[in-house]
Amino acid sequence: MTNPQGRDAPFRNPGWAGNTGEFDLTEAQVRGDDFVGDRPLAGGHPAGAPSYPYMLPEKHPDAPLFEGPYRERFEKILTRYPDKRAALLPALGLAQEVRGHVSPETMDRVGELLELPPAYVRGVATFYTMYNKGPVGRFLIQVCTNISCNLCGADEVMEAFLRYANTEAGETSEDGDFTVIEAECLAGCGFPTCVQINSRYYENVTPADVPELCERLRAEGK
Amino acid sequence: MAYPYVSEREVRLISKHLGDPHARALAAAKQNGRYEGLRKALEMSPDQVVDVVKASGLRGRGGAGFPTGMKWSFMPKDYAKPHYLCCNADESEPGTFKDREILRWDPHLLIEGCLVAAYACRARHAYIYCRGEFFEATQVLARAVEDAYADGLIGDDVMGSGQKIDLTVHVGAGAYICGEETGLMNSLEGRRGEPRVKPPFPAAVGVFGMPTTVNNVETLCAAAQIVLHGAEWYRQWGTEKSPGTKLFCVSGHVNKPGNYELPLGFPLMELIDDVCGGMRNGNALKAVIPGGSSVPILSAEECRTCALDYEGVSACGSMLGYASVIVMDETTDIVKQVRRMAAFYAHESCGQCTPCREGSAWVTKILKRIEDGRGTEEDLETLKELTTQMVGTTICVLSDSVAAPVHSSIDKFRNDYLALIRRGERVGVA
Amino acid sequence: MPDRKDEATKPVETVTLTIDDQTITVPKGTTILHAAETVGTRVPHYCYHAGLSAPAICRLCLVEVEKAPKLVPACVTQVAEGQVVHTQSDKSLAMRRGVLEFYLQNHPLDCPICDQSGECKLQDYAHAEGRFHGRGKEPKRVFGRDDFGGDVLFYGDRCVMCTRCVRFMNEVEQEPRLTVVERGDRAIIDTFFEEGLEGTNYHGNIVDICPVGALISKDFLFKQRAWDLDRTPSVCPSCSQGCNIELHARDDLVQRLKPRVNMDVNAYWMCDYGRLNYEWINRGDRIEVPLVRKEQGTRATGWREALADLLQRLDAGPVRVVVSPRLSNEGLGTVRALVDHLGGGEIVYRSERAADEIPLKGFPKLVRRRDLAPNVNGAALLDMERTGGEDGDGGLEAFAAHTGVLFVVGDDLSDQPASFGEGALLYVYLGTHPSEAAAHAHFVLPLTTFAEQEGSFTNHENRVQRFWPALEPPGVARPTWLVLGALLAERTGSRPPTSAAAAFEAIPAFGGLTYEQIGTRGARPAPDRLEPAGASTRGERA
Repeated sequence: MTNPQGRDAPFRNPGWAGNTGEFDLTEAQVRGDDFVGDRPLAGGHPAGAPSYPYMLPEKHPDAPLFEGPYRERFEKILTRYPDKRAALLPALGLAQEVRGHVSPETMDRVGELLELPPAYVRGVATFYTMYNKGPVGRFLIQVCTNISCNLCGADEVMEAFLRYANTEAGETSEDGDFTVIEAECLAGCGFPTCVQINSRYYENVTPADVPELCERLRAEGK
Repeated sequence: MAYPYVSEREVRLISKHLGDPHARALAAAKQNGRYEGLRKALEMSPDQVVDVVKASGLRGRGGAGFPTGMKWSFMPKDYAKPHYLCCNADESEPGTFKDREILRWDPHLLIEGCLVAAYACRARHAYIYCRGEFFEATQVLARAVEDAYADGLIGDDVMGSGQKIDLTVHVGAGAYICGEETGLMNSLEGRRGEPRVKPPFPAAVGVFGMPTTVNNVETLCAAAQIVLHGAEWYRQWGTEKSPGTKLFCVSGHVNKPGNYELPLGFPLMELIDDVCGGMRNGNALKAVIPGGSSVPILSAEECRTCALDYEGVSACGSMLGYASVIVMDETTDIVKQVRRMAAFYAHESCGQCTPCREGSAWVTKILKRIEDGRGTEEDLETLKELTTQMVGTTICVLSDSVAAPVHSSIDKFRNDYLALIRRGERVGVA
Repeated sequence: MPDRKDEATKPVETVTLTIDDQTITVPKGTTILHAAETVGTRVPHYCYHAGLSAPAICRLCLVEVEKAPKLVPACVTQVAEGQVVHTQSDKSLAMRRGVLEFYLQNHPLDCPICDQSGECKLQDYAHAEGRFHGRGKEPKRVFGRDDFGGDVLFYGDRCVMCTRCVRFMNEVEQEPRLTVVERGDRAIIDTFFEEGLEGTNYHGNIVDICPVGALISKDFLFKQRAWDLDRTPSVCPSCSQGCNIELHARDDLVQRLKPRVNMDVNAYWMCDYGRLNYEWINRGDRIEVPLVRKEQGTRATGWREALADLLQRLDAGPVRVVVSPRLSNEGLGTVRALVDHLGGGEIVYRSERAADEIPLKGFPKLVRRRDLAPNVNGAALLDMERTGGEDGDGGLEAFAAHTGVLFVVGDDLSDQPASFGEGALLYVYLGTHPSEAAAHAHFVLPLTTFAEQEGSFTNHENRVQRFWPALEPPGVARPTWLVLGALLAERTGSRPPTSAAAAFEAIPAFGGLTYEQIGTRGARPAPDRLEPAGASTRGERA
């Protein structure tokens, strides 16, 4: 399929910035997928172990916390800080990777593992936007509507997603696939409108791209 | 490599390899000169490294513009307590997108910068605090860090020097306020990312109660280059008080938005008209925010004489801040954009200090009411007074950041507001 | 808390500065807030509390310091040599007015239904320094009312987010049950979901320190208006810690208890057990007049007649006395003197003892003691013996069957049968509340509770502390020392004590300690006497 710009690519915005003519990198190159490769569930080198949290489409809200390779990753995270408390953010992120959201039970369990009071963990978890307090769809679509993207039509992109998913802002579509929310500046301002879907950035998104983008998500799971 | 736009007016000291996927690999990075700065630093004493950076006049690239060498010199000059270096990669200021590019294209430059700074500050452990949303960029960085560890560039014996420096890639969870120095430290410690009262200053009591230096990504990258090439080399660009180059993030209604590394003092209009290919659709310029959404808005008239360095932008009535230039043309609905910015700050306020917590939300509500056509002229006076009450009364400057666009837009674009208030007319569509 | 002995011996560095045109010299390290107090200025503040850490987040205590770029928070900024501070300048007042306006923006107009009204810091500051007219037209954010468990209700709309409650639970009680959740204008205080404050023992203090009506005592909800209450300094009667308290009363009923500051005993705090254990003081079933039992039946009579009658019968036999550790030192002292005068006799008391003490971890001097009575030490100092079980019952077999002179003073014998003392030649029951076991008493004489008299208690570390009367006694009830002191005086031909002070000072066991020395802060009797009253005033303002 040829995209509107005439270049031979699956579709216009597979995630990298530009398509400005001289630019010819592949998606994998722009995202860094080819460089990063597959990162092991057990965390790899401890220096990078706190940096893992993925937003995965497959979520297991009742999965036990930190068993097997996840336990190993958790242990590695603990070694990087002089204080157990400092491992709280990476640990909550890891819990969300496994379960999809941070429930009260999750907060309690993480607190137990880090010897922190549950009320304290709740205070920290609710402070940060990215910890989902309730279940979300397979794909969490975060549309930046802050000023730079707003100047270039972010509101229309947001509406396009809401229309396609047939849902309200903050709600999940009926088929459970898409949760659409507005996000604050995603640091993709030169490539408006910037959209983050689970752990991937999609740049230069226009309302016309939305249906194709969502079809691809459904088909490929990412 | 064209990524995505390059101008021949750029001086690509830091941004040379942005857009080159092959430069991420350690071998290629080394060929590009990475870690030569570190090698040089390790041959000097930490204090000598600090002196070089001081002499270069490098100013913090994370919005405050505080002289970096002076900041490093505040650290205790011994190893009695563990020192920490934190790299602030929590880039959340609207309009700013340079750090993400550095993270994902040239991670080794940042790693080198962290190591140089850690050595100069006598820190044995450096944390790179990456924004939670930067999943992909953080993975690239983490992989680069692993490669560096494997190569002995980080760890117990850095480059065979006998120095021990560890580095950890830490990930945040979505809070703009964690980009504030003390908010970052609290977040790193596993707390709510609420800024701390200063004094005590981070160089005395920082993360885990220990002396800490927090630096922006771009600052550290520049520092690595400075140590490699020397202070005088860096001073050949920029101005006396604002030496060197800066990554300008241009977004909004220009033809070629993107990151451009230019010498400080570059004229704003040349940046828009020449480097960025001019206004899109040939529209007239209406307003520019020169330093990310936290600084006052400049009218088109004020932009004409604006030079992009710390002093030049101050002289025009705004601040250089992050040097994130947001360009707005005549189709811009100023009231809507200011409301969106105020809503951003209201969402991101940590909630500790009452003027910011209550004021940012209140200001947003008033602006929304004006935008919906139910405003009064009295509201404009109220907004100005409220924002004045928010400046200088809080622990951090997020409160001041709300005031800047609101107050300056009412001063300079009063007619846009009045059109809505008096006639229900929106000036602009975007 | 700094050790007072060390402070007294080290030379103190001082700083001289000018506050509001007055030049003063204060110790180095003093904050501007405290320095201002010494010149009589109380800078408004919420988040600062002397017993907690100081986060400087309320931004209300901003003052102008010459040559400083911004206004500074007085609660954390230390004084500097030559500093010139203006707390009432136009700039300071304008800034504080602005901050107050932000506080009022989302604050509900709840004053008519809010318990805090009349003792509310938002009312006080807004009245003193706020704008005359509000200009908020936007809808206010709403959180609603939340039951935190225990005695605490939380009205989230009223909260000013000073986080005193969170810091109290974290730092002083060290039971981290409260936290701030969410961020920005959605931020509010909450617990870990349904966990609440159940099981904590000092949470009542967060109601005291909340500057507004966000944290409310369920016990006091909608009960009284703060300005209708009479406040009287007293000592908590619920255990032997002797926390300094205030009785807040109206219409001769105790409406609530609040702690009173004493850095040597309880700092700014008191435990929940003591705080809520006041209803017994309000019991309506009181003995109001002396009752004398004769062959014809029991007759109410006056004091003169009852005591004259009693006086003649005191030598009826060997003496046994049951007292109560709820009696004051003065009361116990006169019992001891009377018994000694009558040739001696056994004096016992019963007292409930809890299985555990409950320390306040952040201020270890304060412990809810095992002895659940205020004057166990007073009784011990006067060589009175403890009897009975840990539940305060039993131990009176010999007394129940006593055939000589039997006095029961203050113990209401709730566990004893109606046959108690039926064989005694003289059985005198002095008490506050009637008892079935007084059925055979020849004399039933009404006493005042601690809340209706002046007196003192001796706490667990032998500290004597005074209390003052808050309520009118029912009927013609009298303090124990007055009743027994009169008897003793008649017997010995001496002058009876006419004041609690005189009654106290006549007790040899307290080594010549005087009421004046005890003051409002308490003191220990010699030989290990503490500093005289007044020494611990520093650092006590809350």
